[in-house]
This record gives sequence, structure tokens and C-alpha cells, in this order.
Amino acid sequence: MKRLVFGNEAVALGALRAGMTFFAAYPITPASEIMHVLAEKESQTAFVHAEDEIASIHMAIGASLAGRKALTSTSGPGFSLKQEGIGLAHMMEVPLVVVDVQRVGPSTGMPTLPSQGDILQAAHGSHGDYTAIVLYPSSVGECYKYTIEAFNAAEDSRSPVILLLDGFLAQLSETVDLDAIPVIPKPRTLAPLGQGQRHFTGLLAKDGTPRTKNPGYYREWHARVKAKMLETAKSYRFSEFFRNERADTLLIAYGIASRVILPLRNEYSIFKPVTIFPILDDELRAAAAGHKRIVVVEMNDGQYRGEVQKVLLREILGIPVLGGAISLNEIRERLHDL
Amino acid sequence: MTYKDYIKWHRMPTTWCPGCAIGTVFKQVTFALADMAIPREELVVVSGIGCSGRAAGYFNVDSIHATHGRAIPVAEGVKRANDKLKVIVFSGDGDLAGIGGNHLIHSSRRDVDLTVVCINNGIYGMTGGQMAPTTPKGIRTLTSPYGSPYQPVNIQGLITSNRRHWYARASAFQVLHLQKMLREAIEWKGFSFVEVMAFCVENLGRRLGYKNGYEMLFKLKQDYKPVYKPEGPLKESELGVMKNDGQAS
Repeated sequence: MKRLVFGNEAVALGALRAGMTFFAAYPITPASEIMHVLAEKESQTAFVHAEDEIASIHMAIGASLAGRKALTSTSGPGFSLKQEGIGLAHMMEVPLVVVDVQRVGPSTGMPTLPSQGDILQAAHGSHGDYTAIVLYPSSVGECYKYTIEAFNAAEDSRSPVILLLDGFLAQLSETVDLDAIPVIPKPRTLAPLGQGQRHFTGLLAKDGTPRTKNPGYYREWHARVKAKMLETAKSYRFSEFFRNERADTLLIAYGIASRVILPLRNEYSIFKPVTIFPILDDELRAAAAGHKRIVVVEMNDGQYRGEVQKVLLREILGIPVLGGAISLNEIRERLHDL
Repeated sequence: MTYKDYIKWHRMPTTWCPGCAIGTVFKQVTFALADMAIPREELVVVSGIGCSGRAAGYFNVDSIHATHGRAIPVAEGVKRANDKLKVIVFSGDGDLAGIGGNHLIHSSRRDVDLTVVCINNGIYGMTGGQMAPTTPKGIRTLTSPYGSPYQPVNIQGLITSNRRHWYARASAFQVLHLQKMLREAIEWKGFSFVEVMAFCVENLGRRLGYKNGYEMLFKLKQDYKPVYKPEGPLKESELGVMKNDGQAS
């Protein structure tokens, strides 16, 4: 049945549909509604309003190891705090989903205004080298769909998958029939705690025994985990491409920015990645072919633009939309002035 | 089942220094587990970071070695996800009462059914001997070269400030008392905390003039006495239990 749903609500409902049965979080604008919705679903999921962001992600890690699909949600300041747990989950290979509803930073910044400033943090926020899967929907229906895909990717890759939203999308209400969205939640892939002798550690370890002074083993381990992540990510390459045969300029945008610029598809081609990382190299190359200019429109100072440039190895222009305000007219004017 | 079934023998020897107290406490925990005949499949041990944090990997059960200070929230997640598991946190004072202090306050307040075994050696041992939140006032360490200017954290006070609570102080010398405390703590439904007074000869004791682990162990014997019916909060020299099942006093 069609009804009015908002972004944060769709994430909460999508998580339940995916089979999530453990949720821990700490209140933060503009992500709190995910908590509010799940707090009322006690019959379907364990719910913990934790003492802080760090506790909530670590509880999710513990719960995931103990056999439940786990979720934690936050915004930028909390996402910074959760990086410790994200690194631990990568090292211990624990599936879980972390939602970051982006607001303007750095620091407390502009709490109620939307941003896309956490793109690089989502991929590289925790210390050390790791490969992250990052998804970023751009409509309420997609929030539901890609929350479930995030859980599937987490199970397949046994890693913490990041689902990005922005404050705009999280608070946006749309009429949508969630039940009509085709989804196939995947089963758990990790045997729950209680097997009797496994050891999960944040140290570099081989079969549960620390190998902290062995550079050769580190390289072997890193290559294995990276290959695993890239192989898994092949099943999670989501994007949309609106080719305009008359256009010589390709616009690239994601999340709320892609929604705002959609009316420009009569003048330009538009590529919208949903999978932000690992970067959609083949799709980007195919979309770029035949276009003289490529412009990334994003609500940050060129974070994804740099990533695109690394893949396409050519000049990429950017329209950074900063400060939490985005309008089609402004973007149209700035495109004409480029 | 004997205590030997709870130890991963292929991981021996441990990383702990000769003369260290952690091994003693580790073994007493395995004694208590064997005594209570807890099946290994129903047991999970979680540690944080530091010398004591290495203990999780030596227990022959499913175990987690979490990040610094986060043993309690990881353990809470495990317990809330599967109530059938016995969850024991084995970690150090710096990990639990320093960087993890916020979690200690709140998990104990929520009275989550965990047993926390805290090795209190009064120092950050693994990182070389820096001042811990438990370092007694006046003690010189690498980061308090003129003597710690602060009173140590009062863990008993923190735990017992919750109406429902279970707190015990034990020591690595009085092992029979320690074992009794561990058994009681594991049996207690709710948050139980065993503060085990220990020592670090390598990165604290030797700088204070102790020649070996035995001298520090003997100091524990001199400093602490078990008290079976404490009157009011445990005094500094007393070992024993402070518990309340939640009734208003």
C-alpha cells in the first residue's frame, strides 16, 4: 500500500525487513528518528539507547558476533566516534551496518542542515588500510531498498557496511509502496558465539593467534581481505545513468544532489552512483565516454570529484555546494558560468 | 571438566612477564569455571586492551579481544543478543576505569548480567608504566615523575552508587577468597564487578624498589585482609563484598 514515509523511517523499516534484530544508537540530529521508529518495535528487535556512540557500535559488534544482524545509526560527529568500532569490525570481519546521516561539519557544525561531507570519511575514516563498501540512496524508496542491500553486502563481505544519507533525504517524506520494492534478505554467514574456542581480536591474527611482528603475514592477510571485499562488491554495484545524446557535458551527483539536478537531464547527461565505494570505475568510464566535460555536483568541497579524477585520469570539474543550502537555480547558473 | 579444559594450551606461554599477577588471577578464574562446571559452549570471555586484555585469547572458549576500553559494551551486545551465554569481562584497571569509564558507569547502571574481573595493578603496564586512574597518590610513574597528584578512582563507590549492585574487592594473594568472590560474582544475576588488587613488577614495582614479583605479592598480604561481614563500604585495607539486590535501604 502506498503511504507517506520519510527517509529515516524507511531505513528503520528496511533494516527490520532485512532481518535486523539488534539496534544500538545514541541520539543525534538529524538521525534520531531511526531510533524513534525502532524504539517502538521492541517485539521485532533488541533496542539499546546506549551511553555514547562508541558504546553503540561496540554493542552492535558484540551482538553481531552473538548471532544477530546489527545496526547502529548516527550523524557526522557520532560517525567520527564510531570509526574505532568500524576498524575493529573490519579487522575481526564482523558484519554490521552503520548509517551516517550527514550534516554540515566539521565538528558540531550546522546540525540541522544537510551535507555530503563524510564521503571520504566513509571510506577511510578509521586508521590503517581497509576496503569499505559504501552505499548512498537518493529517495525514500531507495533508503528502504539499499538498507536491505547494505545488510546483504555486510553478510556477504563480513564487514561493516556504511549507508550514507544526508539530512535532507533523512527528513524527506515521499509517497511510496515499500512492500512493492523487490528485496531478498540474505541469511547470516557467521556462526554465532558459543562454538567453544574461536578468538576474535583486533590484533593481526592467524587462526586466533596474534601475529603482530610478521610483515609477510600482514601482506598476505591484507591481500586476502582486500580481494574478498572487491569480489563481494561486484554484486553490489548500483548506479543510474541518464544519457542525453545531445549533451556534451556529463553531470555526476549522488544522494540529494542527484535529486535536485534531475530536471537538468534535458540539457545534460547525468550519472548517479548509489555505490560510492568501491568506486564504480567501469560504469564511470562508460558514462564519461563521448562527453567533453564532466562536472561533479556535490555538497562538499570536491571529495567524490577527486575519486572520479583518479579513475578517469582527466580533468574533472566540480560544483561544490556548501553550507547546507542547495537549489536547482543556483546549480544551473553555476553550470552556465563554468 | 577440570580447569585445564578452559585454557588454550597451544597459546602457552603467555605474554605476561615472570612474576606477574595476571596469570594467578587467570588461573583462579578457570578454577571457578571448572568448579561451577560451566559448559565452554555457554561461555564467552571479552577483554579490552593491555596486559590483562590478552587473557581472552588464552581462555579455551569463544572469546573477543576488543578495542581499548570497549570490552564492556561488546560484552553487553553479546549478552543482549543471546541471554543464554555467560559473559565474563576480563580486563585491566586502565581499560575498564580509565578509557572505558563511561561504559562502566552505564552498563552497571543498566545492571546488565555481566561479570567483570578487573586486574587492578595501578599502572599502565603494557605501554611502559604510565600513571593509571588507579595509581595511588604520590606514586612516581613515567607520566607522574614527581608523584601522582591525584586521588585514585574509587571503583567501589562508582559501582555501589547504583541501588542494585554487586562489587567485591579481592587480591591476587588471598586466592581462596578470590575464588569465592569469582564464583559468587558469576552466580549473581546482574552486573557484578570483582576488583582484584594486583601489581606490576616490571613497569611499576622495579622503579619503586621491589626486586621481584614475590616481594610485591607479599605486600598484598600485608596490605589487605578479607572481611566477611563489612560494616559499611570496604575500607582501603579490606577485601570483601558490597551487594544490594535492589531493595531500598
